[in-house]
Amino acid sequence: MTRIIVITSGKGGVGKTTCTANLGMALAKNNHRVVVIDSDFGLRNLDLLLGLENRIVYTALDVLAKECRMDQALVKDKRQPNLALLPAAQSRSKEAVTPEQMQQLITELESKHDFILIDSPAGIEMGFKNAIAAAREAIVVTTPEISAVRDADRVIGLLEANDIKVMHLVINRIKPAMVQEDMMMSVQDVQDILAIPLVGVIPEDERVIVSTNKGEPLVLEENLSLAGIAFANIARRLKGEKIPFMDLTAPHDDLLSRIRRIFRN
Amino acid sequence: MNPDTSSPSAVTSLSETLPEETSAQMPAANAPAQTSSAARSPQSSSTETPAPGPLEDTSPQTAWENTSPQVSPQDTLPQTGSEAAPSSISTETNPNLQVQFKSEEGRLLLQLPPKPENSRSPISWSDLWLQLKQRLNGGERFWQPHTEVHLVAGDRLLDGRQLQAIAEALKESQLQLKWVYTSRRQTAVAAATAGYSVDQNSAVSHFSQTPKATGQALADPLYLQTTIRSGVEIRHPGTVVILGDVNPGGSVIADGDILIWGHLRGIAHAGASGQSKYRIMALHMQPTQLRIADKVARAPETPPARYQPEVAYIGSDSIRIAIATEFTRVHLARSFG
Repeated sequence: MTRIIVITSGKGGVGKTTCTANLGMALAKNNHRVVVIDSDFGLRNLDLLLGLENRIVYTALDVLAKECRMDQALVKDKRQPNLALLPAAQSRSKEAVTPEQMQQLITELESKHDFILIDSPAGIEMGFKNAIAAAREAIVVTTPEISAVRDADRVIGLLEANDIKVMHLVINRIKPAMVQEDMMMSVQDVQDILAIPLVGVIPEDERVIVSTNKGEPLVLEENLSLAGIAFANIARRLKGEKIPFMDLTAPHDDLLSRIRRIFRN
Repeated sequence: MNPDTSSPSAVTSLSETLPEETSAQMPAANAPAQTSSAARSPQSSSTETPAPGPLEDTSPQTAWENTSPQVSPQDTLPQTGSEAAPSSISTETNPNLQVQFKSEEGRLLLQLPPKPENSRSPISWSDLWLQLKQRLNGGERFWQPHTEVHLVAGDRLLDGRQLQAIAEALKESQLQLKWVYTSRRQTAVAAATAGYSVDQNSAVSHFSQTPKATGQALADPLYLQTTIRSGVEIRHPGTVVILGDVNPGGSVIADGDILIWGHLRGIAHAGASGQSKYRIMALHMQPTQLRIADKVARAPETPPARYQPEVAYIGSDSIRIAIATEFTRVHLARSFG
């Protein structure tokens, strides 16, 4: 059965779109037929991260208005033929689509794909409701910040109420050194509050910015960065593979920081 | 931040309780004298011990200082007096504002809040829907399969689609919608069309009446097995028992006691209709705020090294906290004996 997964967070800027692009690409690399849907109408970004902006001809709205067929609107990835993007309209607002219409779009895509990833906009208003309307699972992305965790908590409550019971937690942009210094929430702290199964921890990585600007997801790199490996691992864990979590602390646990910890305690 | 206001008679204000954690050691010094585990008010403690300035008002832990000094920082919940309790706290608590399940002679009554126009804070259909789902999810373990549900819609207008949505939500918890009580003709028609037994007018008046604050028995306890997440507010005109955590941003507002079998990290308001005899109990007391009747207390800025089950209650006109086992020994023994 096709897995329909919404990627959401509540708070903006925590890495939903980066996550969607990288997971989509990683799953496609593992020979799954993947479509990523940008449901951020009016503020679309997913096409940029995938480097597909200049190939968009039609958008989801054109499909709904019956101005084109679904396969015309789908943008095939230039590097990975298993991956397709259903772009959002940039000129319209979130109210241009209803949850029923989203459902209709996804039903149409279901038969030909193994994974449908829906990139949700920030917030819990109409755009969010559209994004979760057809989803059966959710990936909740958060950063180890109190505000992001609070919003993620709210979103988890809303997902539960909307009968999306299968949820996976991704903790993004963690800085192991800061966690060790006790200046940042740890993975455990976040899990204590959110209490949903963890599917991945992604370290802060400057290469994310480079990859965003180039339109090349991290998982496409020859030598995967730590963040790239983390995304690849999440893609495999989503399929039920048991993969141990990377030990992000190792490189930071040098003599100096150990001594500092001893003195702090 | 004006510590000058800490005259014995003045109500302790939020601002002067800020240096709370630093003062944690002070009462420890005083504590041995106060061996009784009965609580002492901040006011009285500052009158008796003349010396040290604004740090005095750390009364709560005097109640149990002698039993567990190591957790004392946590015990020092700063207090605010009655003046800090905005009247809105008690008035906003209209027990009828939330969806409620009630068991009656083997069937379940599902009571909806009154229609939006009549209420101060109107509940939209989507909010009502969320509340219903939360209550259903939280109570899942307690429903008996195939229980009949009687929907008491009161004067709330429901269309066919909404009735169907309610029925489907109930069905997921293996509950069956059978009857609809309503005072609205349209709702009655919609319900009849959908094939439910309809009772227009009758029973509505006695179900949906707003209870008066005086002489009104509390509702049956509400027992939920769920995590109260950010943005969720549980209101209940009786005692609330939560098997799970109350996360930051979540709140529980009860007219009776509140018992959290889990982490209390959000807001809990016991005795919300104004009665100060009610208590808040939690396995892990780390609240954003505690409220009992018209009193408010905040958690200290620095968390304690270790948490254990605690009870918050009102003693000598302010909120105190005691270790659960101690509280049971002292307070319950006294009230029964």
